[in-house]
Amino acid sequence: MEKELKEKEILPESSPKEEAGAAASIVEKIQQLGQTNVPQAPDSNIHVLSIIGQIEGHIQLPPQNKTTKYEHILPQLIAIEQNPKIEGLVILLNTVGGDVEAGLALSEMIASLSKPTVSIVLGGGHSIGVPIAVASDYSFIVPTATMTIHPIRLTGLVIGVPQTFEYLDKMQERVIQFVINHSNIKEEKFKDLMMDKGNLTRDIGTNVIGKDAVKYGLIDEVGGVKHAMAKVSELIQLQNEEEDQVIQ
Amino acid sequence: MILYTPLSETDIFPYEVTKDCMCIQHGGKTVYAKKLENGSFEVQQLLSTDPQDFLNASYAPGMIFQSTE
Repeated sequence: MEKELKEKEILPESSPKEEAGAAASIVEKIQQLGQTNVPQAPDSNIHVLSIIGQIEGHIQLPPQNKTTKYEHILPQLIAIEQNPKIEGLVILLNTVGGDVEAGLALSEMIASLSKPTVSIVLGGGHSIGVPIAVASDYSFIVPTATMTIHPIRLTGLVIGVPQTFEYLDKMQERVIQFVINHSNIKEEKFKDLMMDKGNLTRDIGTNVIGKDAVKYGLIDEVGGVKHAMAKVSELIQLQNEEEDQVIQ
Repeated sequence: MILYTPLSETDIFPYEVTKDCMCIQHGGKTVYAKKLENGSFEVQQLLSTDPQDFLNASYAPGMIFQSTE
């Protein structure tokens, strides 16, 4: 009791050191985030993972590029799998593509998680963003988001031309196979979209917008954050029910 | 590393314009050209919206020309 009273007496009076620390913290928040107060996510069984900017793999991209690095995401996905408090995963996706192998690595990791996963494509999920978007158990796209589907290209010096083209063709096939195995789009349709002419200014391919991505079977549903949260909760419940049945 | 993105290479890896590289007129077309020691220029990149210009060998990267302008 005495201890509590003492604490109450001490608490309202903050030392100049603490005030300076709080001020410094506010300045840091303004500098880093442009905000004085940052909303905190409550303790939840759903983890939210952001994949924003270009997918950066083995080679570091020049500093003007905004990137998500595979060495940051891959360990997080393992931690999500291992953490018993995390029961579901929501992936926020706004990427313009990037390293093929890094993107496929992320896609395979997401697809092989034992926990329910839901992705939301916001803004854009272009090129290698397509397999990442479809890797989850259920995918959403906001109505204004777009996904560019086009062939894999190589610019610059090419040594050993036939081998390089074969390698590129196989790499493209890996992307196509992953997408058709993890979504409802048919292989023919996906290849048609990839080779279509007159849609993109500098390339062949198609820019698929929100509703069309669902129509082609690439994405499961048009929706945003609340839909994704509701879906992942539903999937968690289903999984828990299945586990209970197995135990019984 | 193979990048799979709709961005162009120059969007990701910026085109470095050095001191001896300049934007000049050559035969009525705008080109990025590098000034050589003998005073002539070497075409680096043609800047044009006309596809026919890119079929003209005199604007191909690496071509040497004397600036008259």
